Amino acid sequence: MNAIRHHHLWPAIVGLLLLAAAPASADDPWIYATIQPAQITLGESARFTITNLGDGATPPITMPVVSGLKFEVIGHTRQIEIINGTTLPSTSIVVRVTPQMAGIFSIPGVTPKSQPVVLQVNAPPGFPGAPPPSPQAAKPPPPILSGASIPKGVHLTEDGSAYVRLSVPKREVYVGESIPVEIELGLRSGFVTSLNGLPKLTGDNFTLNNLSRQPERSEKLIDGQPFVLLTWRSVLSVVKPGSFPLSAEVPLTVKIRTRPRKDTALDDQFGDPFWQNFFGASVPKDINVQSPAQELKVSALPAEGRPYDFHGAIGTFAIQSDISPSKADVGDPLTLTMRLVGSGNFDRVDSTMLDHVENWKTYPPKSTFNTTDPLGHKGEKIFEQPLVASQPGAQTLPPLSFSYFDPNTKRYETIHSTPPSVRISPSPIDSTLTAQQVAASGVPGAVDKRAEGLKPDHAEVQAMVSSLSPPYLQPRYLAIPSLLALAFAGGWLGIRRRSQPPERLTARRRAGARMNNRVLGQMEAAARAGNPTVFFNAAREALQQTLAIRWQVSPEEITADEVRSRLSEDADIQQLFALADESKYSGGDFRAIDFARWTRAVRQRLTEEPTP
Amino acid sequence: MKRGAALAVLVLNLLAGAGPIHAQSAQPGYSAEGLYNLGNAYMRQGKPGMAVLNYERANLLSANDPDIDANLSYVRTSLHLPTPSRSTFERLARCASPIALFWIGVIGLTIVSACVLAARLSSRHTWLRRVAGVVGFSMLSLSACNAVALWPLLHEGVVITAETPVRVSPVPMGDSLFLLPEAETVNITAEHEGFFLVQTHAGRTGWVSRANVAPVVPRKKWGLTL
Repeated sequence: MNAIRHHHLWPAIVGLLLLAAAPASADDPWIYATIQPAQITLGESARFTITNLGDGATPPITMPVVSGLKFEVIGHTRQIEIINGTTLPSTSIVVRVTPQMAGIFSIPGVTPKSQPVVLQVNAPPGFPGAPPPSPQAAKPPPPILSGASIPKGVHLTEDGSAYVRLSVPKREVYVGESIPVEIELGLRSGFVTSLNGLPKLTGDNFTLNNLSRQPERSEKLIDGQPFVLLTWRSVLSVVKPGSFPLSAEVPLTVKIRTRPRKDTALDDQFGDPFWQNFFGASVPKDINVQSPAQELKVSALPAEGRPYDFHGAIGTFAIQSDISPSKADVGDPLTLTMRLVGSGNFDRVDSTMLDHVENWKTYPPKSTFNTTDPLGHKGEKIFEQPLVASQPGAQTLPPLSFSYFDPNTKRYETIHSTPPSVRISPSPIDSTLTAQQVAASGVPGAVDKRAEGLKPDHAEVQAMVSSLSPPYLQPRYLAIPSLLALAFAGGWLGIRRRSQPPERLTARRRAGARMNNRVLGQMEAAARAGNPTVFFNAAREALQQTLAIRWQVSPEEITADEVRSRLSEDADIQQLFALADESKYSGGDFRAIDFARWTRAVRQRLTEEPTP
Repeated sequence: MKRGAALAVLVLNLLAGAGPIHAQSAQPGYSAEGLYNLGNAYMRQGKPGMAVLNYERANLLSANDPDIDANLSYVRTSLHLPTPSRSTFERLARCASPIALFWIGVIGLTIVSACVLAARLSSRHTWLRRVAGVVGFSMLSLSACNAVALWPLLHEGVVITAETPVRVSPVPMGDSLFLLPEAETVNITAEHEGFFLVQTHAGRTGWVSRANVAPVVPRKKWGLTL
């Protein structure tokens, strides 16, 4: 428990640094978390302090949850801190952190903007996983960067606190090809405060896919110093051809010395950051640790020999196919399965399987991918296509094929499956089986118990219909009532034609008849009113219209003289035209009986048939 | 006279061609008895869906056969399916086979037509014409009622497989909405590329493969004939 002795130093130092970088607003709360010490042995506890500086509103604080660490709130403190002459109130939550296993733990920030802190828990000596009791215990450790035993590909930072190593299996690749890579981050124990992000590649010509979210952790002595190794695995792909430098970088916060190296030799000898802090020998600093650049040559896929069904798959693959069930009825859905097994860029592995096949109805396939490694570089992609047969019989489907580019042979390959075969039986709906055939097709003697209550079979008769559709929907049946209706209509028209004179009313005559009715109505109204002027004018107008139609002249040409010359024997019409002129100027004295007589006379002339 | 004789010959030829007897036809035919026996055979084989389908088809040709009704009711009851009951109108409208009622309608149309033409030609025998007209109109109405009563049956289908999935879309990989029990009768409202859009008596709708549902009145492959 001696590990929590120096808890009062770190909050002040971190607070000072944060204040220096913070905007000058006394009302803004400033929350940060510290852990002391950053490296303990299993069985000890560390003090995790969440400090809120300032008077502003406190944002929500989330107590971190880390697998393998136990957090216990042991107290709250309120104090006044004087930093650079400024008096600031602060409140702190003190949490005891007890590890339950050895390892490197990243404690996430208490607020969304907070940086995580790292706690290293060492196994006790003699326990599995504990650093081996090395000769350094007996003799003083060599200084950092002595250079004798640094592994190949490891390039430490200037202060020797970290390194990044990028492992790429090959230097010549193709555009779109997936290459599994490994990024190793080495952190010297006690020198790295926090990991500020995931590794990424420099430049925009590369993409990292499926980067493992949790790195593998291990410990290793490098150049005599204990290092914690974090290893991420991912798949690299290149988007365009060319020759590009490739390196990986990781953002970190490290403690850098503020005193010359010779003055800190004692700190390095102890290897304990406490001593460095105690003497004010280091301050935190954000840095990007980068791996040494490697040259990667990227080639475009050759255009020559590219299959028509190539969709961009690069790797090594094998094909299998089957169809299930192997026996089905017409109309039953079947599933055609194609399996592509191998390694490569499975995101570009695609197939339309069967498109148009005679006597088959095909549907678009769907695919699933089962990976056998965490990167998705190796595995099995399964395509399943529903099919429906429309014809009975033994049928063999065309073989399935898949095209890809093999980077090892540097050429396109097309692989084929064996042609799947299936037996299709006629659908029971469409088949024309008889009861005897159905009975014979079953298991002899086996009768469903539910059939015991059925009424017995009937004696079959010969009379049959060709269709179950009602006769009203069968064209040849419908022809019979249609012909009958036509015959009836023809007969009715023939009888009607025989009973009527051959002449037909023309449209003009029909219009004249309608006008005569209207004029007769006007005459009757004028007679009732005792108005001879209107009466005789209407009568003359009606006669003019009628005679104009008969004589095929315009109504204006029907004058009294014309009537006198053409109808010299009809005295009534001549007198009516004279009365019409007379009543126009002098009116006249007419009785109801006179109106009735003239109305009959006019009606008779209007309705009588013309003499040929 | 020659034209009248030619018309008569044409009508007679049509009548002969449209008759119910198909003994010489190469096309497979149906009879109520054969379909009833087929239903029994399927039921003995433990295929109640096909049994109900054939009973329904037999019922279409012979609506008043008590054995067909009894077996239909028995199968549905044994499967715990609802047994639809016929209305009075349906019983009256299906008092005979559709073909018999069709010919009755044709005869009724002939009588009514003859009465109308006779009234136009002569005013004698008014009482006789009126009685004949009423009889003819009744026969015509009975035939029309039969057509109305049969219309819903043209859109009915029977589920012929157990646990038939009803899908949200007319494709085999469409999501399944619910399952239909074998031998349930559904209403077919549309068809699309080997799938029927069905509606159950409970009002639920969805797409079912042609392999799972058979229309009571057979249709041409992949297309509506109605």
